[in-house]
Amino acid sequence: MNNNLVRNRLQLSRRKFLRGAGVVMALPWLESLPVWGVEPLTAGGTKAVIPKRLAVLFMANGVNPNTWWAKDASGNQYPAKQGSGATYTQLTELGESLAPLEPYKSKINYISGLFNKAATGVGIHPGMTGNLLSGMPLTKGAELHGGVSMDQVLSNRIGEQTVQPSMVLGCEQPVTGYHETNFSMAYSSHISWSSATSPVPMEVYPSLAFDALFDNHGNQRNQSVLDRVMDQASSLSRQVSSADKAKLDEYLTSVREVEKRAEAMRAAKANADANGQGAGQPVITMKRPDNGLPEDIRDHMRLMCDILALGFQTDKTRIATLLLCRDISGLFYPFLDVKLAHHLASHEDTKDSFLRINQYYTSQFAYLINKLNSMPEGEGTVLDNSCLVFMSNMWSGSNHDNSKVPVLTAGNLGGTLESGRLLDYTRAGDQNRKLCSFYLSLMDRMNVKLDKFGDADARLEGV
Amino acid sequence: MPKRLAILAFALLLPPFAQATTVGDMMAANLDVRFHSTVQPFVQTYCLGCHSGDKPKAELDLSTFSNLTTVTADYRRWNNILDRLKASEMPPAEAKAHPTPAQAKPVIAWIQTALAFEAARNAGDPGPVLARRLSNAEYDNTIRDLTGVDMRPTKEFPVDPANEAGFDNSGESLAMSPELVKKYIDAAQNVADHIVFKPEGLTFAPFTVVAEADRDNYAVHRVVNFYEQFGLKNADTVDYFRRMTVDYADYFLAAWRYQNRAALGQPNATLAEIATSANLSPKYLDKINTMLSANDPAVGPVAALQARWRSLPPPADGKVPEAATQGCGYMRDLIEGLRPLVAKKIENFPVRGSAIAAGSQSMVLWKDKQYAINRMNYAGNAQQLDMSGYGATDPALLVPATDEARAQYEDSFKQFCALFPDAFAVTERGRPFESPNNIASDLRGHRLLTAGFHSQMGFFRDDEPAMALLFDDKQQKELDKLWAELDFVSHVPIRQFKEFMWFERAEPPSVMMNPEFNFVRPEDGDATTEAKIKQVAEVYLAKAASNGVSEEGQQVVRDYFTMINANIRAFEQAQKTAEPSHLDSLLAFAERAYRRPLTAAEKADLLAFYHELRGQQVEHEDAIRTVVVSVLMSPNFCYHADLASANQVLKSGIEPLSDYELASRLSYFLWASMPDQELLSHAAAGDLHQPAVLRAQAKRMEQDPRISGLATEFAGNWLDFRRFEEHNAVDRGRFPEFTNDLREAMFQEPIRFFENVIQQDGSVLDFLYGNYTFVNPVLAQHYGMPAPAGGPDDWVRVDDAQKYQRGGLLPMAVFMTKNAPGLRTSPVKRGFWVVSRLLGEHIPAPPPNVPLLPSDESKLGELTLRETLARHHQDPTCASCHEKFDSFGLVFEGFGPVGEVRALDLGGHPVDTKAGFPDGTEETGVSGLRDYLHTKVQAEFVENLCRKLLSFALGRTLVPSDDLLVADMRNKLSTSGYHFDTMIDSIVTSPQFLHKRNPAQVAQN
Repeated sequence: MNNNLVRNRLQLSRRKFLRGAGVVMALPWLESLPVWGVEPLTAGGTKAVIPKRLAVLFMANGVNPNTWWAKDASGNQYPAKQGSGATYTQLTELGESLAPLEPYKSKINYISGLFNKAATGVGIHPGMTGNLLSGMPLTKGAELHGGVSMDQVLSNRIGEQTVQPSMVLGCEQPVTGYHETNFSMAYSSHISWSSATSPVPMEVYPSLAFDALFDNHGNQRNQSVLDRVMDQASSLSRQVSSADKAKLDEYLTSVREVEKRAEAMRAAKANADANGQGAGQPVITMKRPDNGLPEDIRDHMRLMCDILALGFQTDKTRIATLLLCRDISGLFYPFLDVKLAHHLASHEDTKDSFLRINQYYTSQFAYLINKLNSMPEGEGTVLDNSCLVFMSNMWSGSNHDNSKVPVLTAGNLGGTLESGRLLDYTRAGDQNRKLCSFYLSLMDRMNVKLDKFGDADARLEGV
Repeated sequence: MPKRLAILAFALLLPPFAQATTVGDMMAANLDVRFHSTVQPFVQTYCLGCHSGDKPKAELDLSTFSNLTTVTADYRRWNNILDRLKASEMPPAEAKAHPTPAQAKPVIAWIQTALAFEAARNAGDPGPVLARRLSNAEYDNTIRDLTGVDMRPTKEFPVDPANEAGFDNSGESLAMSPELVKKYIDAAQNVADHIVFKPEGLTFAPFTVVAEADRDNYAVHRVVNFYEQFGLKNADTVDYFRRMTVDYADYFLAAWRYQNRAALGQPNATLAEIATSANLSPKYLDKINTMLSANDPAVGPVAALQARWRSLPPPADGKVPEAATQGCGYMRDLIEGLRPLVAKKIENFPVRGSAIAAGSQSMVLWKDKQYAINRMNYAGNAQQLDMSGYGATDPALLVPATDEARAQYEDSFKQFCALFPDAFAVTERGRPFESPNNIASDLRGHRLLTAGFHSQMGFFRDDEPAMALLFDDKQQKELDKLWAELDFVSHVPIRQFKEFMWFERAEPPSVMMNPEFNFVRPEDGDATTEAKIKQVAEVYLAKAASNGVSEEGQQVVRDYFTMINANIRAFEQAQKTAEPSHLDSLLAFAERAYRRPLTAAEKADLLAFYHELRGQQVEHEDAIRTVVVSVLMSPNFCYHADLASANQVLKSGIEPLSDYELASRLSYFLWASMPDQELLSHAAAGDLHQPAVLRAQAKRMEQDPRISGLATEFAGNWLDFRRFEEHNAVDRGRFPEFTNDLREAMFQEPIRFFENVIQQDGSVLDFLYGNYTFVNPVLAQHYGMPAPAGGPDDWVRVDDAQKYQRGGLLPMAVFMTKNAPGLRTSPVKRGFWVVSRLLGEHIPAPPPNVPLLPSDESKLGELTLRETLARHHQDPTCASCHEKFDSFGLVFEGFGPVGEVRALDLGGHPVDTKAGFPDGTEETGVSGLRDYLHTKVQAEFVENLCRKLLSFALGRTLVPSDDLLVADMRNKLSTSGYHFDTMIDSIVTSPQFLHKRNPAQVAQN
């Protein structure tokens, strides 16, 4: 094939935003693109269904157990220390670790007492982490084996409706040696697993995460592949009989059809962008992050939260995980006046220093909540149509206790998830406090209904 | 069979590919005249009443046929008309007027002549072979042979439709759609994700290799498998690793065999041959044999072994006496008891306090290395050991009295330690700095090849004894390559150093847990540059020195940084030099994918695409993967199409296939997959079309395991069991024996049978009458045969199978089960299968609104299934067809719904396997059916097999011009003792197989 042809095509298909300025300009979902599998918004104003999004934010090594609590209207503190059964009540007061979430109390749920059976009794750290989102038992030694994580189940089922099936982001790079428990540290480094044996490679570079959403290398490469196929098919079909030509044209037409759908998507987006700008719509802009990693972990986390928010707002993806730090984290927080790295600090989890780390993380969560909450969408905000889950792999880092794990949610998932509540399952009995039940409940709301997942075959009561 | 004789008669008159010749023109004119004078009036009188008008019966409007040309254009229907007339089935009984036989005779003769004329006129024509995509099976097989990995990418594709002949390998039925294109893209991407990037090219792993864990998994196991393949096994734990060792007794016994080769009846056996036949290292056996045969001074462990060796008994009656085996075992036990006592003890590097942690990478590697370099060394401590226990059995081990003898004693230990190393190799290690309990726990973890760091990745190679003693030059090189691959594939040095930085900064005890090191972050882009490593080393060493670490200790640290920097630089260099080799690999891949040489323009285009992607900031690996996707999406890969060529066009518009096209045609016929290197070499040499070469290649291909492609795709589709692996109609509650394993075995049985007939060049009549079959343990159990040993892959041939009511295709469980609706048998389906599939009779589909039989045999009440069926047939419109095949099915009533032999049906009635065949013959059971087939309709079976195989080979439905070839196949079969191979021979040397219609000419048609 002619080289110039290739070059021209690639240039034509470059992203539609202004690369020179290093700024993405995209429109929010509602004003913008009809995407794969989603009916376009018609001119007559027929309402398209607003997409629902789900993100999991992960902080490793547990929380300060003395300050990670919530109280109901009567002043009872949870997790409950006595009694029996689950508690579903109004969230009224938050412990110190959660102070940054005070302004969003009505937007969040405080959930305590959930656990992952397969992650208990197998030794500390990696064995408590690699299956957090799958609920499947992990294998020790050189062979990695666990289960597909909840986010990737969703990605497989509904991911093709968006440019990126899912985002898997991290703020700390993976490590893969052997832990003393004989589990691979790969389990400590990954919460998203595409198969029982393979973690999803995590994007830690903000610039590349940004490109994946807006530069869209994957689709662009697909397009150049399809262009080449069409060239070859038409060149071949000139050398064959008319009957054969019909068969090759069938291929050509099918390929062209696939490309046309992608092209239509791009064109619609470009139009919408142009119209939006003309009509004075609120165009979202974000500068492309610099190459490399930010010097400061605070900038790193902010950028990742921004990209996640933007990905949701512009409907580039509906599923995300963000590993703020990995298990046995080596992140440092000099700005919090903490000398030890995260993991060692968690061994002193009742100290003030670890409380400050907790607060720093919950403030990241608050930042993302605020960000989505200030993005109007339909009658509400992007937050209203999303569910952000914040969780850790253990409760107490000093005891490596994961008999329950801390969970917070934010957002209403398109009106399907109530907020402002306090849900405590600590004394509900093991059958009724499974993380996997919680995931089943969330996946239901994402329109992926499974009979069972991980170790659960029932939805979580009270959510 | 007058129709066929007529064809032969014409064949003598007409040359192949003859267009209308003068003789042919005359015949055509004559036939036209007779059509108007004889056929048309007959049709007018007896047929048009039903077969014309707005709604002609059977959608056959006979008024549209006006001359010879219109008849031959629709030869398939006229073939049916001929059959109906001959059988006097038309006009039907209820018709008003019926022709006398004398009236029908000239019409029958005319149709026969006309069809024969048509067949002969274009005999050998390649026919309309449409361009087509690969079928799903071909796609899977081709990917398997192209990548070496059986990844079956079409799992998610929709099922391919079959053509009229029942095969899914023709352009007539294989269509393309946008949805399928999307699946093609996904499949191609998945294949590309299996690519492993090696230092000297690309290869494919059995799993996707994208995440780091996948890379480790691939490369680590290649190394470990290499050791294991040479008989190295993990022995007991010593220190913090598992010792990989060989069984010395095997070597001693082999040396004994060599010494006694004459008495064992192998006077000419060499030491190397004996080693090889026992799967031992010839190199090591030679060393052992030399040591045993030498005459050393009588002190020390070598002397002790030699003494024991000399006391082994000679062979008794040419056999190995028990005492010799035992003696070799004692010798091994002696070594294994003694050797650990004289191994060098290695302590942690002496660092004061916690100035540098014993678990730091530098210190762990130092300790690993001390072990590695001392594997063959002697600790020099024998005289301090208490050897008195050996006094009775091995006096040579007692410390001698004289100085001279003691010196010899020490030398003997050195020799002993060098020949019997502490370990040959180590593939599993715990953390060397830990307490014994923790190490024991680590060793339960199968941490393959790990260096023994805590939580950080890193590998250590410790196999010097295996290299020195066991492996020859070639094996050494191969192992070196595998270790280099591990570094390269898994990016080991870079990851190891990044994890070092994380761990030393964050986890105690560590030099780097100090704000001075705040400039170090593993995440930084420059974290592994030479400058950064130097900077870290400098600060680290200064800190160590101020912690009081000795100069020697600092040297250990310095060595570490030097080593890791060198490894990282070497890795980067390897990456640079590897990229061109990956591009070479890529082009070679494309060439094999296209099944022909690439043109210079195609090569340039692929490379241009790669560079274009790189220019778009796509990383090397992703760029390669994308080009691979584009190759797999190219119609040059996923389509078969015959291209126009400039040369050798015959007047007739027919031209020979190119040798590359022929190679593909052969391989997709016999293997349902791409041509291998040998076929392509013949294509390159241009001699593949020569009949002798073709025949030899076909014979070779028949013996290749890939012939399962023909067995599975041809037999599977012909006999309608291709999708039996997904068969779900069996009620497993009622038939718990029907497990997935049994289902798979049922599916495999006819394939094994078929392969055997091809590979042994057996008779095609064995399909009907063979008194043998093939079973694995689960199928044998189902059949009540003695089960062979082993698992699902262990198949044996069972002769005298009719003793168990099996043998040949007819009573195979797969057909009995496939043609039963679950809880009862179905004589209708089973009979229909025999008549339509095996014998090739065309039977029209049943009309709608046919009442169904009850689905459960046990719910039939007083009636047996046979009686119910009989009642069902009282309706004459049903009977006209059913009487053709029900009887064939009733003989199988001795087999239940999963093909099990039975005496009672599920309703508790004794089964009755008697049946009256269409010609009035009565037979009983499968043996009766065999008799009937043999005496009455064997020719139909043979004819059908020939037609089906030819249709499969050509990838199209047959046309009249193929009749002559079919006749030839049939004749060769009957004159050769029905050898399967004669059919393949006829096909691959036939004009239709070797030619194509010239596209340019056809295009004008």
